[in-house]
Amino acid sequence: MIEARNLHKQFGKVTAVEDVTFTAEDGVITGLLGPNGAGKTTTLRMLYTLIRPDSGTATVDGVDVAKDPEKARRALGVLPDARGLYPRLTAREHARYFGELHGLSGPTLDARVEELVELLDMKDIADRRTEGFSQGERVKVALARALVHGPRNVLLDEPTNGLDVMATRSVRALLRKLKAQGCCVVFSSHVMQEVAALCDRIVVVARGRVVADGTADALRASTGKDSLEEAFVSVIGSEQGLRE
Amino acid sequence: MRRLVGTVLRKEVYDHVRDRRTLGSALLFPLLGPLVFLVMFNVMASWYRQDRPLEMPVVGREHAPSLMAFLERYGAKLSEAPQDYEALVQAGKLDVVLVVPDDYAQDFAEGRTAAVRLIVDSSRNKARQSVQRAQRMLAVYSQQTGSQRLFARGVSPELAMPVRIDELDLSTPEKTAATVLTTIPLFLVMAAFAGGMQLASDTMAGERERGSLEPLLLNPAPRGAVVAGKWLATCAMAATGVLLCLVGYFLVVKRVPLEDLGVRARFDAPAALGMLAAVLPLVLAASAVQMWVSTYARSFKEAQTYLSLLMVLPTLPGMMLALSPIQTQTWMFAVPVLGQEMLAAEVMRGETLGPVPFLLALLSCLVVAAVALRFTTRLLSQERIIFGRS
Repeated sequence: MIEARNLHKQFGKVTAVEDVTFTAEDGVITGLLGPNGAGKTTTLRMLYTLIRPDSGTATVDGVDVAKDPEKARRALGVLPDARGLYPRLTAREHARYFGELHGLSGPTLDARVEELVELLDMKDIADRRTEGFSQGERVKVALARALVHGPRNVLLDEPTNGLDVMATRSVRALLRKLKAQGCCVVFSSHVMQEVAALCDRIVVVARGRVVADGTADALRASTGKDSLEEAFVSVIGSEQGLRE
Repeated sequence: MRRLVGTVLRKEVYDHVRDRRTLGSALLFPLLGPLVFLVMFNVMASWYRQDRPLEMPVVGREHAPSLMAFLERYGAKLSEAPQDYEALVQAGKLDVVLVVPDDYAQDFAEGRTAAVRLIVDSSRNKARQSVQRAQRMLAVYSQQTGSQRLFARGVSPELAMPVRIDELDLSTPEKTAATVLTTIPLFLVMAAFAGGMQLASDTMAGERERGSLEPLLLNPAPRGAVVAGKWLATCAMAATGVLLCLVGYFLVVKRVPLEDLGVRARFDAPAALGMLAAVLPLVLAASAVQMWVSTYARSFKEAQTYLSLLMVLPTLPGMMLALSPIQTQTWMFAVPVLGQEMLAAEVMRGETLGPVPFLLALLSCLVVAAVALRFTTRLLSQERIIFGRS
């Protein structure tokens, strides 16, 4: 479970995140929806401990990310905005390296890596060097290394960005599997269809604030709009940043 | 912690061993020094080689027994000239042939100027050395004999020699050779920088530029462990460079005719070990500073530029010493780079130093490494470093 309470972050004079509060439950897919520049990535970075909030707190399974970042990272699996790979390592070596950094070793690590190769359907690329991988293949490797330690909480920053239909479908399938396993899944997106297709709960972020929080139906009901898109436009107050 | 450091170290090593560019710079650059050395020494030795006896075929040896005895005493190897000696000189098979005419003995005995003939081909550079030596020997013989004759008649030979030219050649082969030898410590120290340079820029600046630094830092591994692992990998590469450089010199010096040049330098196994003990600690400091610079740099390119500038550092003490020679003092061993170059030079000169200078040099390197690693680790918790600045 991930809880964010009044997170605030400023870079110089620019306020990236004004005031973000939400809770992401276990066994639920929570979507952070918002236009570009709304503060989604900064919010996620605060949750996954690489940015310290100026004020406010965030906890992962009850662990304060600012006070004990290493313990929080242990409970998190993250697909960050930067998903660079090592071009000279194979897909499997990526997963093994990150597994070892999480303290896994021996047969446990072998079994876990094998499981991920199966889960992400990457048998044919597992032992190839990642140089020249397609976008879809790269995301699979990034996901494998993010999930190698079997985290209970999964954060993904625009996971389907730049992916084709097939790759997008397999990412969605993976998120549903994680949900079925009882994981707490949070992902950010600026694409409404993406969020609508997957999320149980939608947190709409605009200009650094949470402007709506609830299920798709609740969102439509509260705004009195028929389509989710109309509801979205209505809560963020403009159409800016909606389209790709 | 130690296991995590090992994990990072192992990954960096097998990642970079697969990288031809890293390997190329780590392994080829250190061999540059020995190679330059080999070429320079062979060229110089061929210029100055003196110990080789002058091979001189002679026609008519029997006419001038005292001249022949003189020439042999001064290191010429005389032989009977073959029939077609002129053609052989022209073809470059013979450097020089001496012809003693039949009337030499009579002219010599009667005190007239006796003529001998040197057969040479002045268009051949290779033969010039031999020709000059033959000319010099003959001139000395002529002068000695002349002086004896004047002396016998009660005349001071100095009357016949109003001016004497004394030549003082400052560019002795020994000196030139010694200068070339001083490049050994310099190249060893440069190898300590060059060996890890590629890896250092790739492992931090490159890691961020590829977008893999953020995922890496998402692991629960402490920053210190990540930095230490990467640092050790850089050290390993740099140490390999130093070792290769030293082995290269070791092999080359054995092949180089140092004695021909009158150079006495100690380059046996204990000396090599001493030089290793002198230079290896620098690897720790150089790699740590390279990591720090690479972490701070905005991009991979920028890191490489800074690190190339850092490579100039080892040449500074040498230049300083060349401009104003200073007396060696103990504290100088504690200055990284300068200390290593001085230690290696002293070891090569065969000086016995005792452990203090080595310990001082090691200690100063450890301090520099610790400071640089601390700063690097601290940088890795800064947002602007993790996500990059523009």
